[in-house]
Amino acid sequence: MHSHSVSSDDSRASVEQYVKWIQVLRKRGHTIDGIVLTEHRKFDFDKDYSTLAGQYNVLVLKGSELDTRYGHFLVYGVTQALTQELDFSDTRMDARALMQAARQHDAIALPAHPGRFGIGLTDYIAQGESFHDVEIVERLNGGSRQGENERAEELCQSHNLVGIGGSDAHLTSHIATCMTDFKAEIKVESDLVDALLTKEFQPVWLKDIVNGASQS
Amino acid sequence: MAIELEYDRSLYGVEHKAGPFEITNEIIDRANSSTGETGPAFRSDEGAKEAGYRGRIAPPTLCCILVRQVSLPDVKVKFGRTQMHAGQRVEPKAPVYAGDQLTASSHLKDVYAKTGRSGTMVFVVWETTFSNQDGLVVAEVQESFAKRE
Amino acid sequence: MHYFDEIELGDEIGPVEKIATDEGVANFCDVWGAPTPNRFTDAETAAKSGMPGTIVPGIMTMAMMAQLLTDWGGPDSIKDLDLVFRQPVPHNRPLTLAATITDVREEEGEHLVECDILMTGTEGERYVGGKAIVALKQR
Repeated sequence: MHSHSVSSDDSRASVEQYVKWIQVLRKRGHTIDGIVLTEHRKFDFDKDYSTLAGQYNVLVLKGSELDTRYGHFLVYGVTQALTQELDFSDTRMDARALMQAARQHDAIALPAHPGRFGIGLTDYIAQGESFHDVEIVERLNGGSRQGENERAEELCQSHNLVGIGGSDAHLTSHIATCMTDFKAEIKVESDLVDALLTKEFQPVWLKDIVNGASQS
Repeated sequence: MAIELEYDRSLYGVEHKAGPFEITNEIIDRANSSTGETGPAFRSDEGAKEAGYRGRIAPPTLCCILVRQVSLPDVKVKFGRTQMHAGQRVEPKAPVYAGDQLTASSHLKDVYAKTGRSGTMVFVVWETTFSNQDGLVVAEVQESFAKRE
Repeated sequence: MHYFDEIELGDEIGPVEKIATDEGVANFCDVWGAPTPNRFTDAETAAKSGMPGTIVPGIMTMAMMAQLLTDWGGPDSIKDLDLVFRQPVPHNRPLTLAATITDVREEEGEHLVECDILMTGTEGERYVGGKAIVALKQR
């Protein structure tokens, strides 16, 4: 649900390398159905990964990770209209306006790594801010430092939020370290938005999912 | 509204030259000892010749050490009070031998803003090409610096 | 010496443990020509920069990570080493260097191995991370 390719300034992994690495993980017995590319501060309308996706049998969806004045937000179901309404490169974007605009355009925006020190939503809430539109957050993030996923967990419990999992991969071998297990079948970005709105999913660690079953 | 980055945009397209830097045995020795490098080809002519080189070679990151001796102009970014080294890339193109004389040519590649654990940061990216006395490109180095408040 | 045809996706290079001592950092800064005082050798300057203590220069960590690759692939096997300095690296603490091979390919007559490379701390801190491409010989 959260990964960056070389299209993001700080990633060193190509999409092809990600889908090839997923074959390595599958040979080790892990179940991975797809990835969502959430490039920093942009949406790649011009990039078509359908051939790669078909070749390697990995669903490849696209989203964005935007910088806002209340931390980073993952956006799914991005449309041309949404990018015309909001400047995705604006690092001081109003997160509340982002969430509202996303819903108006049949997309969804949710806080990434809310427990991240210095930039997570938990810090802004502690400063007195409130975010009534937030119902889903990224509860498990594969790039988190010690304590950060725990803070996200506490936020979910204290504010009755549901959580997704994402690898936040910037390197090939970090893809799918955290994932989201959805009940619904997902084929395109709009399916993903619909699945998120059902709130029927849970975050999982790759190491806990072997042969489709949870080991935890 | 997005942050409007203020800096010296006239630096784009300008090459800054530096050197020559002589690659002495002493420099290689000191670089090796500070990082615990023990590779035979980096330590002596004999070790290098046994590995198939015509003489002692420098470790592949030596140009990354030299690049800080290139005097680059101030980009004059109107942001931040501190600066950290955010990243480095080296593409070695040919071995650098003890005794080589290297020259460097640098240009500003990009300036952009992003946010992270440290808050808002502005990144300044420089690229440098190192060539030897025969005009052969021996390395391309890219450096990224993050300015933050 | 490792040969291209022996390599498989998922193979690991290392891990190797290194320590950047105060003396090593001071010597490195000397070669590098770092102005003094600096946050690499002076505790007060480090504190003023917001560092928890004196830190290891990014370029020095790069040199250490390059050694992992040249010890494995040969003295001029590195084609590309591209690193992000994610967290300040402390002196005198064990640093684990390791790489995971993520791609193998032939390109313009060269046999290339691409890997993710990381320097981590004892608590799993990801200090430095990035990508490397190494050219190997075929057996």
